[in-house]
Amino acid sequence: MPLRSLRLRLLASAGAAIFLALGVAGLGLDLLFERHIERREALSMEDKAHELLAALRFDAGGKPLVDPPPSDNRFLQPASGLYWQVSAADGQAHSPSLWDQSLAFVPGAPDDHWRARRVPGPFAQGLLVIERMVEPDRSGRAVLVQMATDDSALSDTQREFGREMIGSLALLWLVLTAAAYGQVVLGLQPLGRIRVELDRMRRNPGARLSTDHPAEIDPLANAINSLADARAGDVDRARRRAADLAHGLKTPLAALAAQSRRAREAGADAAADGLDRAIAAAGAALEAELARSRSAVAREAQASSHANVLAAAEAVAAVIERTEAGERIVFEIDVPDNMELPFAASDLAEILGALMENAARFARRRVSVSGAVASGEVCVTVADDGPGIADTRAATALVRGGRLDEAGPGHGFGLAIVSDLVGATDGTLTLGTGPLGGLEVRLAWPVAAAS
Amino acid sequence: MRLLVVEDDPDVGDDLVRALGDAGFLVDLAVTGDDAWFRGDTENYAAVILDLGLPRLDGLSVLRRWRSAGRNFPVLILTARSEWTEKVEGIDAGADDYLAKPFAMGELVARMRALLRRAAGHGSPLIRIGRLTLDTSRMSAHVDTRAIRLSPLEYRFLEFLAHQRGGIAAVHDIAEHLYGTADAGDANAIEALVTRLRRKTGQGVVETRRGFGYVLSEDG
Repeated sequence: MPLRSLRLRLLASAGAAIFLALGVAGLGLDLLFERHIERREALSMEDKAHELLAALRFDAGGKPLVDPPPSDNRFLQPASGLYWQVSAADGQAHSPSLWDQSLAFVPGAPDDHWRARRVPGPFAQGLLVIERMVEPDRSGRAVLVQMATDDSALSDTQREFGREMIGSLALLWLVLTAAAYGQVVLGLQPLGRIRVELDRMRRNPGARLSTDHPAEIDPLANAINSLADARAGDVDRARRRAADLAHGLKTPLAALAAQSRRAREAGADAAADGLDRAIAAAGAALEAELARSRSAVAREAQASSHANVLAAAEAVAAVIERTEAGERIVFEIDVPDNMELPFAASDLAEILGALMENAARFARRRVSVSGAVASGEVCVTVADDGPGIADTRAATALVRGGRLDEAGPGHGFGLAIVSDLVGATDGTLTLGTGPLGGLEVRLAWPVAAAS
Repeated sequence: MRLLVVEDDPDVGDDLVRALGDAGFLVDLAVTGDDAWFRGDTENYAAVILDLGLPRLDGLSVLRRWRSAGRNFPVLILTARSEWTEKVEGIDAGADDYLAKPFAMGELVARMRALLRRAAGHGSPLIRIGRLTLDTSRMSAHVDTRAIRLSPLEYRFLEFLAHQRGGIAAVHDIAEHLYGTADAGDANAIEALVTRLRRKTGQGVVETRRGFGYVLSEDG
């Protein structure tokens, strides 16, 4: 079964590759070490062999003879593990330690240097043998000189080295695998970041993946962003078509109102009443749909968009000052000129427009718009010097479709629409009595959202 | 009084013509942007009702052309879109009021009358006092050579002060002029108005005479 986790897959392959590399290195090291200790042992035996060479000659019968024999006591003690042997055409001599045995004879020993090899020897011992051909005198007769030592000490050393090496290599494997794990985690981190950013995109469709990813990830992020843009474009076009349709229906509604007036003039009051009711219902449904679509768009607003509060308040005031409701009203706008909110300027205009127009309608002389940053919130307050409302009625004003009448029936305003928009932009809306004595609408957005 | 109604929907257009005719106006109807621009540019209308969604040349462009050609009759815009950004755009382009469709005919007639009332009756077109120049035909103002955007209330306040000819305008009289009635709370409202106005004009145009009222500075 293939591994589902990329991390496990990378980790397993790294672990296996490191294991293989360390195994090969271990074998190589073992071989090098073996050759090294063999060479050292051979060198120490060469010293003893030189002593032997100095005492090597032929007896009268042409047999090789070593006199005096090498001094090391182990040459005297049978099966001691240290042996010498000299062999010529006419006979052979060997150390007493060989007792009745002899060293195996392999032809082709060199005559200019010592040859070392490992062979099975007598007394069930493994032996390291050095050997060479020499001519002890000028007679031209050659002698094979062999010196051997039990290799069990060598094998022990080698085994000991092997054990320690395996321990070290295992430790190295662990360290390297841990390093590989670190590498994998580091390497896969951008994917984790992508996941977090995708999650943010899911919650806020206007958000996009950042573009400072590593070069290998960037094309993926760009592709996802393009896909999201295309999809947002589709949604936006669909929504715009719906809005255009809604707006497009308003002129026919106005035309219907004209027909209704004509019907009324012609005496058909009942028909006109019916038409008027239908027009009002259709108009209300259109407004509600447009408001809903506006809230949905605000919820998906681009993270990069921002609205200057002072500019929006001044622009809205400039409109209301020219209308009948606003022409006698003084707008006191006290907002820092660098104060911004993190959504589209058109949404802020919609919020302030509805609130300031309503305030102007009920104000006697003054409407104040103030902005401040306090205790982690960006606050925008719209207050008027009108009659205000009772606290108990404030709650009902915020219910969708609920209407707030300050002055009497027929003068309501759709505070619920504003409330939807404020909610869609992560803000809160509270109603109260302001310093001018009238209604105060306080909007607040968390500073994190605003900065 | 002659009005121009610019509306491409025949039902709405006819209804507007009839209702305004009933209200005592002489009404011309234009159904395209080109036609509207030509009529507005060549004839003298007391006011214009302008639909924004027009074939060929849209309403805002027509309005901008009129304004840049110096045609300063009051304009009420009719719009199917009720967004505030569009209202702001309309006012920026030089409109004097707006009404969103569908609208009540009674409200339109009332708004039209209010617009005409505001624009009516000025003798000499330019009044200069100190650094301030008021253009009574356009209801606009300059400080030195800088154009100032005034709300109708701010304009009426400055005009009232200008008519005092250097005398102090008492708070009570200002309130009477601006609101028709006066009471104790008006002093605060007028102070707020002056504060807002000074932000546009800078210091040294409207001076406060504490305990008496306000006066326009005559210092050039």
